[in-house]
Amino acid sequence: MTTNDDSQNELHPNAPVPEPLDEASPSERARAKAFADIVDKAITGRAPAVMSADDRALLEVATVIRAANGQAELSATAQRSIVEDALRQAIGDSIANTSGQLGVIPIGSARKKWVPWALTGASTAIAAAAMLVLWLRAPETRVVHETTAQTPTSWTSRPADPLIGPIARENAGDASARIDYLFADRLEGYRDRRLSGRSGGKKR
Amino acid sequence: MASEPATAVELEEEQRLVEEAQAGNLDAMRPILERYASPLYGTVILPRLGDAANAEDVLRDTLATAVEKIKRFTWQGKSIYPWLRQIAINKVYDVHRHSKRSKRLADAMAHEMAVETDPTSHADALLMADQERTAHRERIDDTMGQLQDRYRTAIELRLIQELSREECAKRLGVTIGTFDVLLFRAVRAFRKHFGEA
Repeated sequence: MTTNDDSQNELHPNAPVPEPLDEASPSERARAKAFADIVDKAITGRAPAVMSADDRALLEVATVIRAANGQAELSATAQRSIVEDALRQAIGDSIANTSGQLGVIPIGSARKKWVPWALTGASTAIAAAAMLVLWLRAPETRVVHETTAQTPTSWTSRPADPLIGPIARENAGDASARIDYLFADRLEGYRDRRLSGRSGGKKR
Repeated sequence: MASEPATAVELEEEQRLVEEAQAGNLDAMRPILERYASPLYGTVILPRLGDAANAEDVLRDTLATAVEKIKRFTWQGKSIYPWLRQIAINKVYDVHRHSKRSKRLADAMAHEMAVETDPTSHADALLMADQERTAHRERIDDTMGQLQDRYRTAIELRLIQELSREECAKRLGVTIGTFDVLLFRAVRAFRKHFGEA
């Protein structure tokens, strides 16, 4: 009788491989399906990072077979990235080791550290010189005496306070009525001035 | 794919770059690394590891080590490739030593290491890579020859010709589920024989 333990044993890496036409157990079918999915992904360059140790061992064998037949080449993008990483790693380590051994900064690196300071100093000096030139050539300050023209009294509006009078608190919301009153008064003055031919308008 | 032998001009250029790197300009190694990264990966590292991600890490370490130790390399009128290859093989064995999981593959390679030829005897790097690929393929073919026909066909269709599972199943006249089982058993059988081939 086949038990679960037997099923596990038949899939053990050291267990004999069944004949091609032997009936597969459900657990072997499931393992075979999972492995087929992993192979699918590996062929498209997306091999899963996580898998069982047995599956990984079988995938390694499959990859060895593919590599021997030129089916697992390194992509151009991956190659460029690996070369860059390797150079960065090696050159970085090389500089670190040199500095560690000698305890000094390489001359080339030391020189380069002056460049930003030199640029900053030069640009500051140029800016200071420009400000000095502008200050020396600044035009004389001219004092402008403004005169305010006196407006004839007849041209100015009459104060509205005598017309409206003090506004009681309870009448504070009647602004539109007060505006109407002022407008009527101004209209009356205008008519009086235009129709009478006088230039002074209504007497204040 | 057969590689064209390196010309004398290419070797002279390689020598100039190596000497420039040895004089302190490590970036001069860049064209050399770009030229040999692919053969190192495809014919030296990946066939010995079987794990693409690990193989990329080993390639990166190999190239970095080569740049770091370029001053130790002595130009002998041959390509630098055999020297790079030896660094890569040492790195691969470091990985195998630290991984019990891949012990079987390491064992399978043990015989190959014992009969390793003198790398300096190879004049042309890419030709050497081709020879190495051919040697791997012969070894794979030997193992395939020990498999039952149906297993061998399953591996050829899916892993070498890279046909889809549906197409493989159709060609073998079985369902996709049955083909999955066939491939699974075929790779297991290959693994068993590979260490004995």
